[in-house]
Amino acid sequence: MEPARLVLSSAPHLGMRSSSARMAWLVAAGLAPAAAWGIFLFGVPAAIVLCVSVGAALLAELLSSFFLKKLTITDGSAFLTGLLVGLFMSPSTPLYVPAAASAFAILVVKQSFGGLGRNWMNPAMGGVLFALLSWPGSTSRWTGAFAARNAAALPPLVALRQALPSPTGGAPLSVLAASGYRWSDLDARVIAWINTHVFAGLGTALQPGTFDMLIGRTPGPIGALSVPLLLVGAAFLLRRKIIRWRVPVFFLSAFFFLTLALGGIASGGSWLSGGPGFHLFAGSIVLGALFAASDPVTSPLSSRGQIIFGISLGVLAFVMRFFGSLGDGVAVAIVLGNCVVPLIDSRFDGRATALSRGRRE
Amino acid sequence: MSWMGIILTFSLVDNVILSRLLGVSPGVCAPVDMRTARIVGLFTAVLMALANLAGWAVDSLVLSPLGFAFLRTPVFVLLVAGLAFGLHALARAAMPRLLDAAGISLPEIAVNCATIGVVLISTRAGFTASQSVVVGLSAGLGYFIVTALMTAIRERLDVEQTPEALRGFPLHLISAGLLAYAFMAFDRTFLLRLLGS
Amino acid sequence: MNASATRGGVTTYNGELALLMSLTPAIAVAVRVIDALWMAAGVVAVLLLSRACMSLIVRAGNPGTQKDASPPQGRFFSALIVSSVLTASFEILLMSADPEASASLGIYAPLIAVNFLVLSMTRAVDSGTSMGRELADALGRGIGFAACLILIAILREVLGAGTMTLFPVGQFSGVIAVPGLIDDPARALGLAGGGLICLGYLAALVRLARKRRLASGTAGESSKDGPR
Repeated sequence: MEPARLVLSSAPHLGMRSSSARMAWLVAAGLAPAAAWGIFLFGVPAAIVLCVSVGAALLAELLSSFFLKKLTITDGSAFLTGLLVGLFMSPSTPLYVPAAASAFAILVVKQSFGGLGRNWMNPAMGGVLFALLSWPGSTSRWTGAFAARNAAALPPLVALRQALPSPTGGAPLSVLAASGYRWSDLDARVIAWINTHVFAGLGTALQPGTFDMLIGRTPGPIGALSVPLLLVGAAFLLRRKIIRWRVPVFFLSAFFFLTLALGGIASGGSWLSGGPGFHLFAGSIVLGALFAASDPVTSPLSSRGQIIFGISLGVLAFVMRFFGSLGDGVAVAIVLGNCVVPLIDSRFDGRATALSRGRRE
Repeated sequence: MSWMGIILTFSLVDNVILSRLLGVSPGVCAPVDMRTARIVGLFTAVLMALANLAGWAVDSLVLSPLGFAFLRTPVFVLLVAGLAFGLHALARAAMPRLLDAAGISLPEIAVNCATIGVVLISTRAGFTASQSVVVGLSAGLGYFIVTALMTAIRERLDVEQTPEALRGFPLHLISAGLLAYAFMAFDRTFLLRLLGS
Repeated sequence: MNASATRGGVTTYNGELALLMSLTPAIAVAVRVIDALWMAAGVVAVLLLSRACMSLIVRAGNPGTQKDASPPQGRFFSALIVSSVLTASFEILLMSADPEASASLGIYAPLIAVNFLVLSMTRAVDSGTSMGRELADALGRGIGFAACLILIAILREVLGAGTMTLFPVGQFSGVIAVPGLIDDPARALGLAGGGLICLGYLAALVRLARKRRLASGTAGESSKDGPR
């Protein structure tokens, strides 16, 4: 009746499932540009939220290492989890939210299963989901002096959802314009300049808000603001083959095409009017796809499995964004995808099942 | 409630295992391997549909008209147990090797909280005969999905070196809890927005 | 290996596994302390009474002989009848005593009839042992069940809702607000998933406590379906 005690852990032998100390620190470095931009835009509150979430994660890791009897705090994975949790939070969230989310991520989602490489759910996304379920809206809450200091009081995605169903319908940016959503002054100046100097001759014009969305000068999660900076960090990691390209690429393209085709219908408009560009830039989808969904521990081993995983994440993220009620739906889509990974692995990766079968007989 | 609404409610939103916490037991919730999981899941789904139909018939044709609603508990419990024994005998006659290989433990399925719970839920909600069958089938589908997911997770956990105090059942429960959190994505708001009513 | 453990678990009622299996549907109502108290009361009452009834039936059926003289299926169905009739009586009593608690227990009150602890202990009645000893055994396990259920309910209600709901007495509404938590509690703990996670850690605690007791040598009986 006693389970056989394996001397060797299965994890390091199964392809990419190992995650060395260097890897976690490098991924954290890849997140640094986006994090720095968030702190630059939102100032001290954002820095405090990040410090609290990282601190809580490190503390939880230290605490649990007493029970597991191995010191793993230096492998960087706890730091990375804390950082990711913090980057998913709004800078004006009460500080107990990132602290509780990080602690849940490390203690329950990761360390209970024996530490890095043995958890089946991405710790950071599990922590963010716990925060979303406990304190709904904590990742998009926008209160106090903070709201006054920024151009618009609401993240664009939240404002869009409140504006819908709008009588005008159409692309997200024009719905926002019709509902009187305020962009920053910088955006107004840049767009006006481009429209008069570049687009006037072509007979077309850019929507107000395009520049804000592009560089991420909008309210939103600390780390999800600037898509270009996220891409820079991810390109560095992809070059060093630290994150696997299949999951994020198929995730984002499935989401892109679904939003393009059906996003308009879901928000009360017509076919092909979903504004996929807006939806890729709004919310934490790029951050989640590049840095959470591609986690080697919680994504499938085989390349076919990774493609299926990526596409299902795109579908889930689309469904959750337009119909769900948990934030912008990225964290919960990734967590739901993680639940299916063991099933995908057992279908498409013979090694994992062969190992478990050999152990049982 | 529309047909789509019933199917989504009972398979995802009000999942018997993850939302109602019925049938979370080490033997039934996560059978040993995927093959067993499939057979147990299928068996439970058929049992749920049959039990729901029978429960509807007994409740709306006998118990309610006669004013014997207080007898629901013993009647339903015995009904489900009897049906489970009958279905098991039938399935065993049809495919003897399959059922024995799966090692389905009969008393456990006969008094499975999930089936009795679903019958109680649907009679309390007052569904019609055809709705009851669909409720039973969708609850069985939800049961099937969660059992398959849990079995795969459990197969992965079994080969990992997990902490000794938590190895086995405790970790399966924590995994089921995390799965339940993930399934919170499918809530009432989701259903309302998706079906637009 | 697991299948045999489960099959064994149906007939034996010893050990942590039986306790935890009996807690799994009941945990759904452990969101308010008062519901957990009613649930625990129901399970303990039905457990004791059905064990007593079954004991009388077995003694009347085959006086002075060894156990298992009756066929296993007959034993199984008579245990079901006894426990479900007693559960129905408990439901009626609860309905008249506290309609609100009866409503919030919902389908979980009838499910006491098939509670693992109740059913396995009712089936395992042995005409060879004295009735007093059988009831004392049942009471012990019932108290263990109640303690676990109430502990989880307190944990989940205090952290997940910031309150503690007890019986209303006079002016007192029965709801105690916990300062500091009432404003913004961690609602996720009150959800079904929170119950399962709490139960998982409780299972680990029960296992550790059991192991410590076995190691210190003061243990009572050891279970065959022990740590899995």
